[in-house]
Amino acid sequence: MSEMPIDQLDLKRAIAGDERAMQRLWSQHAPHIDAVVRRLCGDPELAADVSQEVWMQIFRALPSYRGDSQFGTWAHRIAVNRTLNALRKIRRLAKLEVDIEDDSAMVEMDNDRTFLAESIEQAMTKLSPGARAVFVLHDIEGYTHGEIGEELGITPGGSKSQLFKARAKLKKLLANLMDDSTTVAGKGKAHVAPV
Amino acid sequence: MSHLSEEQLDQIIAEEKARPQPPLNDWQTIAARARDEGLIRESPSRGWASSQSWVQAAAAVLLLIGGIAIGRTTIGLPTATQNAASLPSENAVPTSAPSVDAAQPSSASATFASLEEASATLDRAVEDYKRATEFLAANNSSGRPSDSAAMYSKRLVALDQVFNATESALQTAPDDPVINQYYLATMGARAATRQMVARPVVLRGF
Repeated sequence: MSEMPIDQLDLKRAIAGDERAMQRLWSQHAPHIDAVVRRLCGDPELAADVSQEVWMQIFRALPSYRGDSQFGTWAHRIAVNRTLNALRKIRRLAKLEVDIEDDSAMVEMDNDRTFLAESIEQAMTKLSPGARAVFVLHDIEGYTHGEIGEELGITPGGSKSQLFKARAKLKKLLANLMDDSTTVAGKGKAHVAPV
Repeated sequence: MSHLSEEQLDQIIAEEKARPQPPLNDWQTIAARARDEGLIRESPSRGWASSQSWVQAAAAVLLLIGGIAIGRTTIGLPTATQNAASLPSENAVPTSAPSVDAAQPSSASATFASLEEASATLDRAVEDYKRATEFLAANNSSGRPSDSAAMYSKRLVALDQVFNATESALQTAPDDPVINQYYLATMGARAATRQMVARPVVLRGF
Protein backbone atom coordinates (compact mmCIF):
# COMPACT_ATOMS: atom_id res chain seq x y z
CA MET A 1 0.00 0.00 0.00
CA SER A 2 1.44 3.35 -1.00
CA GLU A 3 0.52 6.45 0.91
CA MET A 4 1.47 10.06 1.27
CA PRO A 5 4.18 10.63 3.85
CA ILE A 6 2.74 11.92 7.07
CA ASP A 7 3.38 15.52 7.91
CA GLN A 8 5.72 15.42 10.89
CA LEU A 9 4.49 18.75 12.16
CA ASP A 10 0.92 17.49 12.00
CA LEU A 11 2.00 14.45 13.96
CA LYS A 12 3.62 16.57 16.66
CA ARG A 13 0.60 18.80 16.82
CA ALA A 14 -1.74 15.83 17.05
CA ILE A 15 0.32 14.40 19.90
CA ALA A 16 0.04 17.77 21.63
CA GLY A 17 -3.73 17.57 21.29
CA ASP A 18 -4.26 19.89 18.34
CA GLU A 19 -7.71 19.05 16.99
CA ARG A 20 -7.05 20.27 13.47
CA ALA A 21 -3.95 18.13 13.14
CA MET A 22 -5.82 15.12 14.49
CA GLN A 23 -8.63 15.74 12.04
CA ARG A 24 -6.17 15.87 9.16
CA LEU A 25 -4.75 12.50 10.17
CA TRP A 26 -8.24 11.10 10.48
CA SER A 27 -9.37 12.51 7.13
CA GLN A 28 -6.37 11.08 5.36
CA HIS A 29 -6.54 7.59 6.83
CA ALA A 30 -10.13 6.98 7.92
CA PRO A 31 -11.32 5.63 4.56
CA HIS A 32 -8.82 2.77 4.64
CA ILE A 33 -8.83 2.21 8.40
CA ASP A 34 -12.61 2.20 8.60
CA ALA A 35 -12.87 -0.08 5.60
CA VAL A 36 -10.98 -2.88 7.30
CA VAL A 37 -13.03 -2.40 10.45
CA ARG A 38 -16.23 -2.54 8.43
CA ARG A 39 -15.17 -5.70 6.61
CA LEU A 40 -14.04 -7.50 9.74
CA CYS A 41 -17.17 -6.61 11.70
CA GLY A 42 -19.69 -7.32 8.98
CA ASP A 43 -22.27 -5.29 10.87
CA PRO A 44 -22.30 -1.55 10.04
CA GLU A 45 -23.53 -0.43 13.46
CA LEU A 46 -20.99 -2.53 15.28
CA ALA A 47 -18.32 -1.33 12.87
CA ALA A 48 -19.12 2.32 13.63
CA ASP A 49 -18.73 1.68 17.36
CA VAL A 50 -15.53 -0.27 16.90
CA SER A 51 -14.16 2.41 14.60
CA GLN A 52 -14.49 4.97 17.38
CA GLU A 53 -12.50 2.70 19.69
CA VAL A 54 -9.92 2.19 16.98
CA TRP A 55 -9.40 5.90 16.46
CA MET A 56 -9.20 6.58 20.18
CA GLN A 57 -6.52 3.90 20.40
CA ILE A 58 -4.64 5.40 17.45
CA PHE A 59 -4.67 8.85 19.05
CA ARG A 60 -3.68 7.44 22.44
CA ALA A 61 -0.79 5.57 20.87
CA LEU A 62 0.45 8.44 18.71
CA PRO A 63 3.37 9.27 21.04
CA SER A 64 4.64 5.71 20.55
CA TYR A 65 4.73 6.01 16.75
CA ARG A 66 8.41 6.10 15.85
CA GLY A 67 8.14 6.25 12.10
CA ASP A 68 9.64 2.79 11.61
CA SER A 69 6.77 1.98 9.27
CA GLN A 70 4.41 4.14 7.30
CA PHE A 71 1.78 5.76 9.47
CA GLY A 72 -1.04 4.05 7.58
CA THR A 73 0.54 0.65 8.11
CA TRP A 74 1.04 1.36 11.80
CA ALA A 75 -2.53 2.59 12.22
CA HIS A 76 -3.84 -0.35 10.20
CA ARG A 77 -2.26 -2.77 12.65
CA ILE A 78 -3.95 -1.02 15.52
CA ALA A 79 -7.26 -1.18 13.66
CA VAL A 80 -6.98 -4.91 13.03
CA ASN A 81 -5.92 -5.70 16.61
CA ARG A 82 -8.57 -3.52 18.15
CA THR A 83 -11.31 -4.88 15.91
CA LEU A 84 -10.40 -8.48 16.54
CA ASN A 85 -10.32 -7.81 20.28
CA ALA A 86 -13.73 -6.19 20.09
CA LEU A 87 -15.11 -9.18 18.19
CA ARG A 88 -13.64 -11.53 20.78
CA LYS A 89 -15.23 -9.55 23.59
CA ILE A 90 -18.66 -9.91 22.11
CA ARG A 91 -17.94 -13.54 21.30
CA ARG A 92 -18.39 -13.11 17.58
CA LEU A 93 -14.90 -14.41 17.13
CA ALA A 94 -14.76 -17.61 19.12
CA LYS A 95 -11.62 -19.68 19.11
CA LEU A 96 -10.97 -20.21 15.48
CA GLU A 97 -9.49 -23.63 15.93
CA VAL A 98 -12.85 -24.71 17.30
CA ASP A 99 -14.60 -23.02 14.40
CA ILE A 100 -12.42 -24.84 11.96
CA GLU A 101 -13.04 -28.17 13.66
CA ASP A 102 -16.73 -27.41 13.32
CA ASP A 103 -16.28 -26.53 9.67
CA SER A 104 -17.58 -23.08 10.42
CA ALA A 105 -17.30 -21.71 6.93
CA MET A 106 -20.02 -24.09 5.89
CA VAL A 107 -22.36 -23.03 8.68
CA GLU A 108 -25.63 -21.69 7.33
CA MET A 109 -24.89 -23.18 3.95
CA ASP A 110 -28.36 -24.66 3.80
CA ASN A 111 -29.87 -21.23 4.36
CA ASP A 112 -27.65 -19.80 1.67
CA ARG A 113 -29.33 -21.80 -1.04
CA THR A 114 -31.92 -19.09 -1.31
CA PHE A 115 -29.47 -16.25 -0.69
CA LEU A 116 -27.69 -14.67 -3.61
CA ALA A 117 -25.42 -11.78 -2.79
CA GLU A 118 -25.44 -8.61 -4.83
CA SER A 119 -22.03 -7.59 -3.62
CA ILE A 120 -19.02 -9.17 -2.03
CA GLU A 121 -19.62 -7.01 1.04
CA GLN A 122 -23.05 -8.53 1.36
CA ALA A 123 -21.70 -11.99 0.71
CA MET A 124 -19.05 -11.60 3.39
CA THR A 125 -21.74 -11.09 6.01
CA LYS A 126 -22.78 -14.70 5.40
CA LEU A 127 -19.35 -15.97 6.44
CA SER A 128 -18.70 -16.91 10.03
CA PRO A 129 -16.72 -14.23 11.90
CA GLY A 130 -13.58 -16.36 11.88
CA ALA A 131 -13.78 -17.18 8.20
CA ARG A 132 -14.53 -13.57 7.38
CA ALA A 133 -11.51 -12.43 9.37
CA VAL A 134 -9.21 -14.82 7.54
CA PHE A 135 -10.63 -13.87 4.14
CA VAL A 136 -10.47 -10.13 4.78
CA LEU A 137 -6.98 -10.21 6.21
CA HIS A 138 -5.56 -12.44 3.47
CA ASP A 139 -7.38 -11.62 0.27
CA ILE A 140 -8.14 -7.94 0.88
CA GLU A 141 -5.54 -6.70 3.34
CA GLY A 142 -2.67 -8.82 2.09
CA TYR A 143 -1.66 -10.55 5.30
CA THR A 144 0.25 -13.80 5.07
CA HIS A 145 -1.13 -16.94 6.67
CA GLY A 146 1.63 -16.70 9.25
CA GLU A 147 0.60 -13.17 10.18
CA ILE A 148 -3.04 -14.17 10.30
CA GLY A 149 -2.13 -17.07 12.54
CA GLU A 150 -0.43 -14.68 14.95
CA GLU A 151 -3.34 -12.27 14.93
CA LEU A 152 -6.01 -14.90 15.40
CA GLY A 153 -4.13 -17.44 17.48
CA ILE A 154 -4.40 -20.20 14.92
CA THR A 155 -1.90 -22.13 12.84
CA PRO A 156 -1.01 -21.06 9.31
CA GLY A 157 -2.56 -24.29 8.12
CA GLY A 158 -5.78 -23.46 9.90
CA SER A 159 -5.78 -20.09 8.21
CA LYS A 160 -5.31 -21.69 4.78
CA SER A 161 -8.12 -24.11 5.43
CA GLN A 162 -10.45 -21.37 6.57
CA LEU A 163 -9.60 -19.25 3.54
CA PHE A 164 -10.30 -22.12 1.16
CA LYS A 165 -13.73 -22.65 2.67
CA ALA A 166 -14.48 -18.92 2.75
CA ARG A 167 -13.64 -18.53 -0.92
CA ALA A 168 -15.70 -21.58 -1.86
CA LYS A 169 -18.70 -20.14 -0.10
CA LEU A 170 -18.22 -16.70 -1.61
CA LYS A 171 -18.00 -18.13 -5.11
CA LYS A 172 -21.33 -19.79 -4.61
CA LEU A 173 -22.96 -16.75 -3.05
CA LEU A 174 -21.69 -14.44 -5.76
CA ALA A 175 -22.43 -16.72 -8.69
CA ASN A 176 -25.45 -14.74 -9.76
CA LEU A 177 -23.38 -11.62 -9.82
CA MET A 178 -21.26 -12.95 -12.64
CA ASP A 179 -24.35 -14.46 -14.30
CA ASP A 180 -26.02 -11.04 -14.19
CA SER A 181 -22.98 -9.27 -15.45
CA THR A 182 -22.84 -11.69 -18.34
CA THR A 183 -26.47 -11.22 -19.29
CA VAL A 184 -26.39 -7.47 -18.97
CA ALA A 185 -22.92 -7.04 -20.41
CA GLY A 186 -22.59 -3.78 -22.22
CA LYS A 187 -25.23 -2.09 -20.11
CA GLY A 188 -22.66 -0.68 -17.72
CA LYS A 189 -23.64 -2.73 -14.68
CA ALA A 190 -20.82 -3.07 -12.20
CA HIS A 191 -19.69 -6.42 -10.92
CA VAL A 192 -19.87 -5.20 -7.39
CA ALA A 193 -22.98 -3.29 -6.56
CA PRO A 194 -22.68 -0.73 -3.83
CA VAL A 195 -24.55 -1.55 -0.66
CA MET B 1 -26.66 -20.95 -11.47
CA SER B 2 -22.96 -21.63 -11.84
CA HIS B 3 -20.14 -20.99 -9.41
CA LEU B 4 -17.56 -18.32 -10.03
CA SER B 5 -14.12 -19.27 -11.16
CA GLU B 6 -11.14 -18.40 -8.98
CA GLU B 7 -10.20 -15.68 -11.43
CA GLN B 8 -13.66 -14.18 -11.37
CA LEU B 9 -13.64 -14.10 -7.58
CA ASP B 10 -10.19 -12.48 -7.62
CA GLN B 11 -11.54 -9.86 -9.99
CA ILE B 12 -14.41 -9.05 -7.64
CA ILE B 13 -12.02 -8.90 -4.70
CA ALA B 14 -9.75 -6.51 -6.60
CA GLU B 15 -12.70 -4.26 -7.31
CA GLU B 16 -13.72 -4.37 -3.67
CA LYS B 17 -10.21 -3.39 -2.57
CA ALA B 18 -10.28 -0.39 -4.87
CA ARG B 19 -13.79 0.68 -3.96
CA PRO B 20 -13.67 3.96 -2.03
CA GLN B 21 -15.57 3.82 1.22
CA PRO B 22 -16.65 6.68 3.42
CA PRO B 23 -15.59 6.84 7.07
CA LEU B 24 -17.87 5.08 9.51
CA ASN B 25 -18.24 8.15 11.72
CA ASP B 26 -18.08 11.87 11.21
CA TRP B 27 -15.22 13.83 12.73
CA GLN B 28 -17.42 15.50 15.32
CA THR B 29 -18.22 12.11 16.83
CA ILE B 30 -14.57 11.15 16.98
CA ALA B 31 -13.57 14.58 18.28
CA ALA B 32 -16.17 14.48 21.04
CA ARG B 33 -14.75 11.23 22.33
CA ALA B 34 -11.22 12.44 22.02
CA ARG B 35 -12.12 15.57 23.92
CA ASP B 36 -13.77 13.53 26.66
CA GLU B 37 -10.60 11.52 27.04
CA GLY B 38 -8.42 14.60 27.13
CA LEU B 39 -6.75 13.71 23.85
CA ILE B 40 -7.83 17.02 22.33
CA ARG B 41 -6.61 20.04 24.20
CA GLU B 42 -7.60 23.60 23.74
CA SER B 43 -5.25 25.32 21.34
CA PRO B 44 -2.69 27.50 23.14
CA SER B 45 -4.16 30.70 21.81
CA ARG B 46 -7.61 29.80 23.03
CA GLY B 47 -6.46 27.99 26.12
CA TRP B 48 -4.62 30.70 27.91
CA ALA B 49 -6.06 33.78 26.37
CA SER B 50 -9.76 33.32 26.27
CA SER B 51 -10.56 31.94 29.66
CA GLN B 52 -9.74 34.84 31.95
CA SER B 53 -9.50 38.48 31.13
CA TRP B 54 -6.66 39.13 33.56
CA VAL B 55 -4.54 36.62 31.69
CA GLN B 56 -5.22 38.54 28.50
CA ALA B 57 -4.20 41.75 30.19
CA ALA B 58 -1.02 40.14 31.53
CA ALA B 59 -0.21 38.93 28.03
CA ALA B 60 -0.72 42.41 26.65
CA VAL B 61 1.72 43.84 29.17
CA LEU B 62 4.19 41.10 28.34
CA LEU B 63 3.86 41.99 24.70
CA LEU B 64 4.61 45.63 25.28
CA ILE B 65 7.53 44.94 27.62
CA GLY B 66 9.01 42.39 25.23
CA GLY B 67 8.49 44.61 22.24
CA ILE B 68 9.95 47.67 23.90
CA ALA B 69 12.90 45.80 25.34
CA ILE B 70 13.79 44.04 22.14
CA GLY B 71 13.17 47.13 20.07
CA ARG B 72 15.32 49.43 22.16
CA THR B 73 18.05 46.90 22.69
CA THR B 74 18.44 46.01 19.04
CA ILE B 75 18.47 49.55 17.73
CA GLY B 76 20.74 50.87 20.45
CA LEU B 77 18.34 53.27 22.08
CA PRO B 78 18.57 53.84 25.82
CA THR B 79 16.25 51.83 27.97
CA ALA B 80 13.25 53.39 29.59
CA THR B 81 15.15 54.00 32.82
CA GLN B 82 18.11 55.55 31.02
CA ASN B 83 15.77 57.62 28.98
CA ALA B 84 14.15 59.04 32.07
CA ALA B 85 17.49 59.86 33.67
CA SER B 86 19.46 61.30 30.78
CA LEU B 87 17.05 62.39 28.11
CA PRO B 88 14.36 64.29 29.91
CA SER B 89 14.29 67.23 27.51
CA GLU B 90 14.25 65.40 24.23
CA ASN B 91 10.74 64.10 24.61
CA ALA B 92 9.52 66.96 26.70
CA VAL B 93 6.82 67.99 24.31
CA PRO B 94 4.06 69.86 26.07
CA THR B 95 1.04 67.66 26.01
CA SER B 96 -1.86 66.47 28.00
CA ALA B 97 -0.88 62.85 27.49
CA PRO B 98 -0.53 60.84 30.70
CA SER B 99 2.77 61.12 32.47
CA VAL B 100 4.20 57.68 32.84
CA ASP B 101 6.74 57.28 35.57
CA ALA B 102 9.78 55.60 34.03
CA ALA B 103 10.70 54.10 37.36
CA GLN B 104 7.29 52.52 37.66
CA PRO B 105 8.47 49.03 36.72
CA SER B 106 10.13 48.82 40.10
CA SER B 107 6.67 48.64 41.56
CA ALA B 108 6.28 45.24 39.96
CA SER B 109 7.02 43.77 43.32
CA ALA B 110 4.00 45.50 44.77
CA THR B 111 1.36 43.27 46.23
CA PHE B 112 -2.30 43.42 45.40
CA ALA B 113 -5.22 42.79 47.64
CA SER B 114 -7.12 40.78 45.06
CA LEU B 115 -7.06 39.42 41.55
CA GLU B 116 -9.51 42.12 40.57
CA GLU B 117 -7.14 44.83 41.78
CA ALA B 118 -4.23 43.32 39.89
CA SER B 119 -6.40 42.92 36.83
CA ALA B 120 -7.51 46.55 36.98
CA THR B 121 -3.88 47.64 37.26
CA LEU B 122 -2.99 45.61 34.22
CA ASP B 123 -5.88 47.10 32.29
CA ARG B 124 -4.67 50.58 33.15
CA ALA B 125 -1.14 49.65 32.10
CA VAL B 126 -2.39 48.46 28.74
CA GLU B 127 -4.31 51.67 28.21
CA ASP B 128 -1.25 53.72 29.26
CA TYR B 129 0.84 51.77 26.79
CA LYS B 130 -1.54 52.49 23.97
CA ARG B 131 -1.62 56.19 24.74
CA ALA B 132 2.15 56.35 25.15
CA THR B 133 2.64 54.66 21.80
CA GLU B 134 0.32 57.11 20.12
CA PHE B 135 2.11 59.99 21.80
CA LEU B 136 5.52 58.79 20.68
CA ALA B 137 4.25 58.21 17.18
CA ALA B 138 3.04 61.77 17.01
CA ASN B 139 5.92 63.55 18.72
CA ASN B 140 9.12 61.57 18.82
CA SER B 141 11.15 62.52 15.78
CA SER B 142 14.58 62.16 17.39
CA GLY B 143 17.28 61.45 14.91
CA ARG B 144 17.96 57.99 13.69
CA PRO B 145 20.12 56.80 10.82
CA SER B 146 18.39 56.82 7.50
CA ASP B 147 19.09 53.13 7.05
CA SER B 148 16.80 52.18 9.92
CA ALA B 149 14.20 50.81 7.50
CA ALA B 150 16.67 48.20 6.28
CA MET B 151 17.59 47.38 9.85
CA TYR B 152 13.96 46.89 10.82
CA SER B 153 13.41 44.72 7.78
CA LYS B 154 16.33 42.52 8.81
CA ARG B 155 14.98 42.33 12.31
CA LEU B 156 11.57 41.39 11.00
CA VAL B 157 13.04 38.51 9.03
CA ALA B 158 14.90 37.32 12.11
CA LEU B 159 11.83 37.67 14.28
CA ASP B 160 9.81 35.67 11.77
CA GLN B 161 12.32 32.87 12.19
CA VAL B 162 12.15 33.10 15.96
CA PHE B 163 8.37 33.22 15.81
CA ASN B 164 8.24 30.04 13.74
CA ALA B 165 10.58 28.30 16.16
CA THR B 166 8.63 29.35 19.23
CA GLU B 167 5.35 28.45 17.58
CA SER B 168 6.68 24.98 16.86
CA ALA B 169 7.97 24.72 20.43
CA LEU B 170 4.57 25.75 21.68
CA GLN B 171 3.00 22.84 19.84
CA THR B 172 5.35 20.53 21.67
CA ALA B 173 4.84 22.10 25.08
CA PRO B 174 1.60 24.08 24.87
CA ASP B 175 1.28 24.59 28.62
CA ASP B 176 4.85 25.56 29.36
CA PRO B 177 4.84 29.12 30.74
CA VAL B 178 8.41 29.87 29.64
CA ILE B 179 7.72 28.83 26.07
CA ASN B 180 4.53 30.85 26.16
CA GLN B 181 6.48 33.90 27.26
CA TYR B 182 9.02 33.50 24.49
CA TYR B 183 6.21 33.07 22.01
CA LEU B 184 4.33 36.13 23.22
CA ALA B 185 7.39 38.33 23.47
CA THR B 186 8.39 37.37 19.95
CA MET B 187 4.89 37.96 18.67
CA GLY B 188 4.83 41.39 20.28
CA ALA B 189 8.24 42.34 18.98
CA ARG B 190 7.33 41.18 15.52
CA ALA B 191 4.13 43.19 15.50
CA ALA B 192 6.00 46.26 16.70
CA THR B 193 8.71 45.77 14.11
CA ARG B 194 6.15 45.44 11.36
CA GLN B 195 4.87 48.84 12.37
CA MET B 196 8.43 50.14 12.24
CA VAL B 197 8.90 48.79 8.76
CA ALA B 198 5.69 50.43 7.68
CA ARG B 199 6.51 53.75 9.39
CA PRO B 200 10.25 53.70 10.21
CA VAL B 201 10.67 57.42 10.71
CA VAL B 202 7.65 58.16 12.79
CA LEU B 203 8.03 55.30 15.26
CA ARG B 204 11.78 55.08 15.49
CA GLY B 205 11.77 55.93 19.18
CA PHE B 206 9.80 52.81 20.04
